[in-house]
Amino acid sequence: MSHTAVAAPTRGTTQGSGVNFMRILKSEWIKLITVPSTVIMLSITVIVMIGLAALFAWQTTVLLDLQGDPEMAAQMQGAPDATSITNTIPGSGLIFGQLLIGSLGVVLIASEWGTGMIRSTMVAVPKRIPALLAKQAVFAVVAFVVGAGSALVSYLIAQPILTPSELEFGLGDEGVLMHIINTGSVLALMAIIAMSIGTLLRNTAGGVVTTIGLLLILPILVATLLAGIADWVPDAARFLPSSAGEQMVAITIADGALNQWQGALVLGAWALVLLVASLLVTKKRDV
Amino acid sequence: MIEAQGLAKRYGSKTAVDNVSFTVHPGKVTGFLGPNGAGKSTTMRMIVGLDNPSSGNVTVNGRRYAEHRAPLREVGALLDAKAVHTKRSAYNHLRAMAATHGIPNSRVKEVIEMTGLGPVAKKRVGGFSLGMGQRLGIAAALLGDPHTVILDEPVNGLDPEGVQWVRHLAKGLAAEGRTVFLSSHLMSEMALTADHLIVIGRGRIIADAPIEQIISDQGQARTRVRTDNPSELIRALAGDGVTSKQLEPEMLEITGADSHRIARTALDNRVLVYELTPLQASLEEAYMQLTNDSVEYHSADLPQATQAAGVGEGN
Repeated sequence: MSHTAVAAPTRGTTQGSGVNFMRILKSEWIKLITVPSTVIMLSITVIVMIGLAALFAWQTTVLLDLQGDPEMAAQMQGAPDATSITNTIPGSGLIFGQLLIGSLGVVLIASEWGTGMIRSTMVAVPKRIPALLAKQAVFAVVAFVVGAGSALVSYLIAQPILTPSELEFGLGDEGVLMHIINTGSVLALMAIIAMSIGTLLRNTAGGVVTTIGLLLILPILVATLLAGIADWVPDAARFLPSSAGEQMVAITIADGALNQWQGALVLGAWALVLLVASLLVTKKRDV
Repeated sequence: MIEAQGLAKRYGSKTAVDNVSFTVHPGKVTGFLGPNGAGKSTTMRMIVGLDNPSSGNVTVNGRRYAEHRAPLREVGALLDAKAVHTKRSAYNHLRAMAATHGIPNSRVKEVIEMTGLGPVAKKRVGGFSLGMGQRLGIAAALLGDPHTVILDEPVNGLDPEGVQWVRHLAKGLAAEGRTVFLSSHLMSEMALTADHLIVIGRGRIIADAPIEQIISDQGQARTRVRTDNPSELIRALAGDGVTSKQLEPEMLEITGADSHRIARTALDNRVLVYELTPLQASLEEAYMQLTNDSVEYHSADLPQATQAAGVGEGN
């Protein structure tokens, strides 16, 4: 009967050491790349970010050509000089990239609750926190590579578009390399924020709405409706995740604004607080 | 070996599991029997640490589940057929679970073959039938070749061949000296599979004994008698703890007297008897008797035919 086949245990092949963090990382990597929609979503993020940067580069040259004098056009847009526009072209897809990565971060964890997969995850790693940390780490690294990679490709694509207008720039120009790297850093931190929200809410729709509300709606509300309420509101708006992220990829820092490192500290604090909250809540609650 | 001591789980004012203590021993199949909502699944979820007990504790092989270095090698659990991401293939699901313990892909392929998932292993789990999902859950439980196997309602959704396969699997694992803990609300399934029974109702243990003992304790021997003069036979047998039920005009069910005594009495009183069948108490009856007071969701009695007729006349 079939049970005699079952009864032949393969202790030799399966006995070995137990759970460790490297193994959980590997497991989470397998989980990430074996759901087709995740891979598709990541590819779309890369394509959208590169596409937006190319469009932005082309639009810049068109604008400058129309107005004849590059110097003049730059002044009309209120920017100090042309390079401060062109040099941030590599990361110009970030605004959409962070919404896509944010949504995906929520989906990756909330879908585990939605489908029941979380029970398999937590039975395999019953201490729970290492499982969540591994998932966060894998996705944060992927988000970084997507962001920095897209920005680097965008930089390369933008040069031939900008060259006819003599707007081309180099990786060695001031702030350019940091801008490209930080496009990845912002996405990585946004990924952690979104996945933590997904972990706390355990619900895909609720998590995506909350994340988009935090990244997109809240800054608009603060800038328009709430700004008149008190003097400190616009001041506090600098500490929203989206504003802090913008400063991380800025090349020219306006007076009174956060610089790149301060932006990184603020966004990092958002990520850390939400991450710790999500870990503590998951450790305590029933799965 | 699973040991629960004073285990309880409360959700607000509702008590799902109420101060439960039991031990599940290796080398035999222990059935966990109870009506829906009795607390079987909650108890099993507490064993593997998905739910935190409100009080008490439960250990597997001497330690809390989460404290084991290689939990999947200690305990394999089928808790819920729907514990898989629907967009991932069965093979990749098992591969991801195996990776946490460094279990090689060769073992993944082994459990796929064992559970008969070979032909669908590369397909999305979302398209699986209930039975296929159940087989995948069992494959995941066997992945770490565990000493203790916990299966929550494993035969749900399986076809007869699958039901028989699970039965053989459970017995085979127990015969190898493993601890096998199997829940069901189907008495008939338990009667065929389990050696030992823990019966739970409304969150409390009602019985914890070898299966034969539960049957003999609860069910009294009865005899079915067909006679053309039931009232005379009842009168002659009356007394000495003998009870009888008249099921049909000429059929009785008698408790408290064996068939020999019934035949002798009938002969002495010149009553014709044309059937005399000793009835073995079934596990089903023992179970109904045990859990009668502890069923959470009673079905309402169906409306009587006479009532329906009465309504018809009223119109």
